[in-house]
Order: sequence, then structure tokens, then C-alpha cells
Amino acid sequence: MATKLMRLAALAICSAMGFAAAAAPSPGPWDQPAETLAEQIAGILGPGPVELSIHNLSSTPNSEVGPIRRLIEQDLKEHGVTISAAQTANAIHITLSESARQRVWVAEVVEGDDTQVAMVELPPAKLQQTQSVGGLMLRKEQIIADSGPILAALEVGVSLVVVEPQQIVIYAAAGSGWQAQQRAGIVQRLPLARDPRGILLSTADRTGFEGFLAGVECMGSAPAANQPGSWSVQCHASDDPWTILQAPAQVNGTAPAPVFKAFYNASRDYFVGVVTPGVGVDLPGFYSAALVPRAVGNGAFLIAGVDGKVQLAENGVLATVAGTRDWGSDLAVLRSGCGTGTQVIASSSGEAVSDSLRAYELPALEAVPASAPLVMEGTVTAMWPAPDAKSVFAVVRKANEYEVDRVTALCN
Amino acid sequence: MLRRFAISVLLATLSLPAFARTRPHYGGTLRVEVAGDGMHGQDGFLLRLVLDGLTQLGGDGTPQPSLAVSWKSENSDHRWEFQLRQGVQFQNGFLLTADRVVASLNVSCNGNCPWTTVHAVGSSVVFIGDSPLPNLPWLLAENQYLISLTDSGDGKAPMYCIGTGPFALNDQNQMRSLIANDSYWHGRPFVDKIEVLTGRSVRDQWLDLSVGRADVVEVPPEELRQAQQQRLTVVASQPVELLALGIGETGALANPVLRASIAEALDRAALFNVIFQKQGEITASLLPQEMTGYAFLFPTGRDLNKAHELRGGLNTPLLTMGVAGSGAMMLAAQRIALNLREAGFDVQPVDMNRVQHSDLVLRTLPIEGADASAAMEGVLRAAGEPAPVPRQSTAALFRAEREFLQRRTLVPLIDLPRAYAIGPRVRDFALNAEGAPDLASASLGDAP
Repeated sequence: MATKLMRLAALAICSAMGFAAAAAPSPGPWDQPAETLAEQIAGILGPGPVELSIHNLSSTPNSEVGPIRRLIEQDLKEHGVTISAAQTANAIHITLSESARQRVWVAEVVEGDDTQVAMVELPPAKLQQTQSVGGLMLRKEQIIADSGPILAALEVGVSLVVVEPQQIVIYAAAGSGWQAQQRAGIVQRLPLARDPRGILLSTADRTGFEGFLAGVECMGSAPAANQPGSWSVQCHASDDPWTILQAPAQVNGTAPAPVFKAFYNASRDYFVGVVTPGVGVDLPGFYSAALVPRAVGNGAFLIAGVDGKVQLAENGVLATVAGTRDWGSDLAVLRSGCGTGTQVIASSSGEAVSDSLRAYELPALEAVPASAPLVMEGTVTAMWPAPDAKSVFAVVRKANEYEVDRVTALCN
Repeated sequence: MLRRFAISVLLATLSLPAFARTRPHYGGTLRVEVAGDGMHGQDGFLLRLVLDGLTQLGGDGTPQPSLAVSWKSENSDHRWEFQLRQGVQFQNGFLLTADRVVASLNVSCNGNCPWTTVHAVGSSVVFIGDSPLPNLPWLLAENQYLISLTDSGDGKAPMYCIGTGPFALNDQNQMRSLIANDSYWHGRPFVDKIEVLTGRSVRDQWLDLSVGRADVVEVPPEELRQAQQQRLTVVASQPVELLALGIGETGALANPVLRASIAEALDRAALFNVIFQKQGEITASLLPQEMTGYAFLFPTGRDLNKAHELRGGLNTPLLTMGVAGSGAMMLAAQRIALNLREAGFDVQPVDMNRVQHSDLVLRTLPIEGADASAAMEGVLRAAGEPAPVPRQSTAALFRAEREFLQRRTLVPLIDLPRAYAIGPRVRDFALNAEGAPDLASASLGDAP
């Protein structure tokens, strides 16, 4: 009974620290390892009095050391090992340690001149996610992850289309995730680039896709509704310009924005600056572009240039946008409905170990931060808006995988 | 503690450009200077630009597909089958085949392979071991097992190293050139060319960096502090090398008590503080604490009384200590000789290249990857003590390590990082899991 009460007390402390589930009967995160370690120690020592010391070399909060100690003491007691304040011949020195991959609890069990070691392994501590603050808050959810490079992804009906450097994979919804359903190879006639790029766009009827890779154009269409069958996917060599901006769904009856196409330098992975229809000014080479809505007209054409400048083409003038020194090469427009209704999402410049995304308002020629940076826990390699522009998608390269995240905004 | 996943850290503040940072640009020539030849031993990072392995280590130290796209083990890790990537070409246009991979592997370990046999089966390479090979995918990522062409088509070995890597080698006198491989299966590298000036002293490397004649130069661990004081932009790895003292088991040191006495007499703190300028980490374990979580169990302190007690009245003749390296390594050897003299041992440091046998050996051993079991196996193999290391649990790994270290044939001293200084043109410079620069992903800010 006393043991149970002590466990409940420990659980209550854990719960207050956010480490345990709210319901009291469910075991805390330390119960199992404490029990295992105590069992190993008791197997070495056998019943009897012992001194116990514990210290923390890990990222486990020091406030957790007390509850952990109490759990181990109770478990030892159940095996007949009692903790003595008086000096005894036997001692247990427990160290809460960790490696890069896991936590390790180590017990050095001293019996006279002999020391034996017992160990238990625990999962690694979870990283704390920083909360965003500011005019709006960005949040992300993972759509899919894969061990190989992902160039672009698009949700079409109940399918997810993913472009990889050498194939297009169609995924079908399976439970809360996706399951690969069909693969179509892409024959690249050009050598693969170090940072290959691709674009996927939804067809006007939202039942298929158009895709562009270096030297290749692909079209895909889903099987007719309620008809079993596989997707039709066709790719062919092409030097045609890529469709880079597509009209989002009409807002408040405004005229749809035009579809912009841009010529791509396949060996250098950027758009050369030739855009159709023209934007009234010669553009330099650029990596990504977005159409920033304006109260009047079709909007302003924003580019992240190969030279590192972020420039806005508007009314026949190309001007550099201030406040973009820490922008990377990927940008997209998000219709969040917050603030002015539309923000530009830009990737960070990559100076930090991990890239981030941040929302900006662009009232004139200065980018004004509208959110705190959203840490992406990897390198952002591609970004594009959803067909309705109410979210943006980002590909994040991590240590061993590529992840597609959907980024949305919450109004504060 | 998750530092190891962040492979490299910037030690000096990068100056922010006046414009936004972009995706990497293609083109340009990267100029690298090294003290060695860049192709052999632990400094052989250039080799990885020319050759690929069947596997490569990911950022977290796990084996990832490289020339092999998949692999499986059977019969309790006694048989492994690696499926080759299709359509890969050597830099001379020859197709990568299983037969060519087998020929390369047979040459690379020259009859002293961890496996018993290796043979081609269709487009797969099959390894058979009399003993289990639990760490084979990790092993095959090491420099020693990178795949090179062994037959240039006329039954003779190629005149120069030909692989499937991102750069093709083109040697000219002291200047080594690496030309971008446009057909590289993993994507063409960003720079067109890497020029490597070999045999360059560290001082000359730094001078060239300061006047803009070099883009990437070496920073030995003992010079890291000075590099920071000179405001060089330094990229350093986590500890990737173990400085260790090998103790021979023959002659006077066949007595394990004497070996234990030597181990107790070593003053790691003095080496760390004085010779290595507080860079790296003092250790008595084969692997860093952040890899295993238990390194603290091996005490690092010096116990001269115990050293005397263990040696007792036993006398030893003059012992020779072979030193692999110069500069800081020789200074470290002299400091160790001083430590041992205080314990009653008379030790003479000598250049290892000039002697055929030495009683003690001071050297660095590579700590490859972040997988503790595979890294330990690699350290033991490099130390000349090849043995399979268990993968079951951390406790089993600890027991294997403790058993080995109790023999006192290898005494770990300091875990050392590797570091490089880069010039202002260099972008996207990072170190891989072995602390070697990944120059295939580096680019130049002033490239067209």
C-alpha cells in the first residue's frame, strides 16, 4: 500500500512537470526503467542494507531526480534491498546518463572491493518545440517522409503525388498516413543535378497534375471517380518553360491571376529570368517567385534572385525589397486571412544549423515580419503554395530523410 | 547531448553578406591545401570525393544506400547480400558491375578481409563470414572499402585512381586536381574543379588563406584556439579521433601488471591542457560519452602511487615509444615519457617510421560514424585488435569494452575533433560523420 502511495505521489509530481499522463493509474515514464534497474541491482546484491547515491549527467531535469530516486528505492525495497543512512559495506551509485541516441541509467554496485555495473536504456528526451509569437503563428504538420530526395508533392483528391528525382510515386490514404500505390519511372536525359528541383501543379479540374523536372514534363490523371484503376502518368523530354505560378481559387469574385511560365536552366537549377506573360520588366535569374496580391491589378511579381537579392516587379519597375537579408531562396504566398489577409512565407538564409520559415507582410518595398520563425529542424529544399494558397508545403532535408510539411497560419 | 547529430559547428562568427543567401551556385574552382597527400590514412578525405562505398554513413551514423541500394543478412549475419545500384558508371565510362566491386574489395583488404569470401551473384555482391558480421553495413562505408576500378580493360590496373565518385582525379606534380563528374549518380557537385595543394605546412596554409590563395585549409586540434584568436572561420567536428597509447604484449611488457602500471601513470589532464590546448575531451574509454552514455565509468585520473605500487620492484629496460605523426604528437609523446619516468619507466619516443618495432605506440585512431557498436569495432580494428563487437545492448557493449581495456594493451587518452578553416568564398561547407569535409556539397559564393 505504501509503495502504491509513493508511486502515485511520484506520478503526481511527474504530471505537474508535464512528463506523465493526466490519468493517475497510467504508469509514469520512469516506472519501468526504475523497476528494471532495481531488479538488476538486487540480482547482484541480494537482500540487505545499502547506501544509495544518485546524480544526473543527462538532460533529464534535476527536478526529476528526486522522483526517480524514490521509485528506485521502492523497487529495491520490494526485492529486500533497503536504503540505509548508516555506512555499510555495500553501496549503489546511480548515474542518470545519456548518449546522443538514448538515455542510460547506470548503477555501479559496490560490494567491498568489487564493483559491478547494471544498466538500463530509455528513449531519448524529447526536444521542446519553441512556441511562435507575433502577429500570426505558423505551425507545421508532417505529410509524408521518405529516405530519398523529394522534389515536390501534391494532394489530388484522396491521393498524394510525390515527385522524386527518378520517379513519380502515387500514394493512397491509409489510416492516418499514406501508402505507396503506384510508381512511374522518369527517364532523365540530363545528368542529375546536386540539388534537383521539380514542380507539381494541379490541373484545372483538380483531378490530375502537371509536373516539371529538369528536361522532363509529366502529366498525370486519376482514375475516374468510383472507377477502380490506376493513375495514368506520362512523361516526355521537354525544354518548355515551367508553369511556376497558377491562379489560386478566386477570392471575392476578383479576376483570377494569370498563369506564369518561366524558362529553366536545367544544368544550373534556376529560372533564367524569361517569364511568360511578361511582367513589364527584364528579370534577372531567380530561384523562386510569388505573386503578391495588390488592391488593384494582378499583383506584384516577387522573385528570390540568383544573386541573393529579393526584388519586386511592379508597374514596370524592378525594385529591391528591404528587410530580406536573412531570406533564403524559397518563397511562397499564403492566404492566411490574418492581418492583411496575405503574407509571404520565406525560408531562412541557411546560416543556422536548421532552416526556419517566417511570414512577412509586404505593404510596399519593405518586408515586415508577421510571425516568429518556425524552426523546420532541417534544410528547406523546396517550397510551394497549396492550390488554394491557404497553406504552403515545404520539403525539409533531415539527417536521414526528406519530409514534406504543410505549413498553415493561426491568427493571434 | 544531441551535438553529434549536428555534425559541425561554426566556431567563428560568419560575416553576414549584404544580400540574402541563396541556393548554392554551380561553377568555380575550390582551392584546398593539406599537409599530407589527402588520399591516404586518416587525412584521406579526398579519396571520398573520387570513390564511393557500397554504403555511406548518414548524419546519425546509420548506414545509408550508396552504390548498394539495399542489403539483407541471413544465417545470423554470416551471409550478407548487397544489391547494386543500376546504371552507375566509373569516371572512365565503365559500368559498375558486381564483378568489379568484388575485384575492388579483394584488392582493398588484400587477403586480410573481415569476411571469409565475397562473390558476385547477378547484380548483387554476397559476403560470407565464418564469424558473424553484424556490423558489415557500417564497415563497408569506411575508406578502406571504397570501390575503385582494378582493371582498365587491358588486364592492368589503371594508372590513377578511378571510381564512381563526384570528382575524377587528375594529378599533376604537387597540384592535385579533381574535376566534377557530370554524370555522378548522386548529382553533379556544385564546383567545377577542386585544386589541392599537398604537402603544405599548416603555417603556409593559413598564410595562403589569409591572402586569398586558398579556400579550405586544415586546423589541427592543438591550433584550434589560435585559429579562433586569429578570427579564422573554423568549422570543427565533434570528436572523431581517439588519441591512444598502445602497449605491446611482448618482451618486458608481457607482464600485465607492468602495463597496468603504465596506464595508471599517464597524466591525461596535462596532455589535454598543455599540448592540445583544451580541445577535445579527456577520456579513458574507447568511444566518447555522447556515443555510449557510459564513458564516465572509466576513470581518467592519474594515480602515481598505484603505478608505483603495481610496478613494485620490477625493472624494465629502456622502452621505445613509436609516434605516428609529428608536431603535437611528438610533444605529447615527450610528455608521456615524462609521466612514465616518474613511475620508474625509462621511455624513448621515436618516429614510428624509423623503427621496425616499439614497445609503446602513440597514435590516433578514427572514430567513424555515430553507431557505438560499429565505431568500437572500427577503433579496435585500427588498433590491430579486430573483433566483432556486440550489438545487443549498451550493457553488452560496455562489458566488451571493459574486457578489452582490462588487458591494458590500449589506453585511451583524448578524443580529438577535426577542423578546417574556410575562406569567404566558400559556402555550404560541412563535415560528414567522420569529420571529413563534404566538398561535393560545397559551393562558391562568387561562382557565376
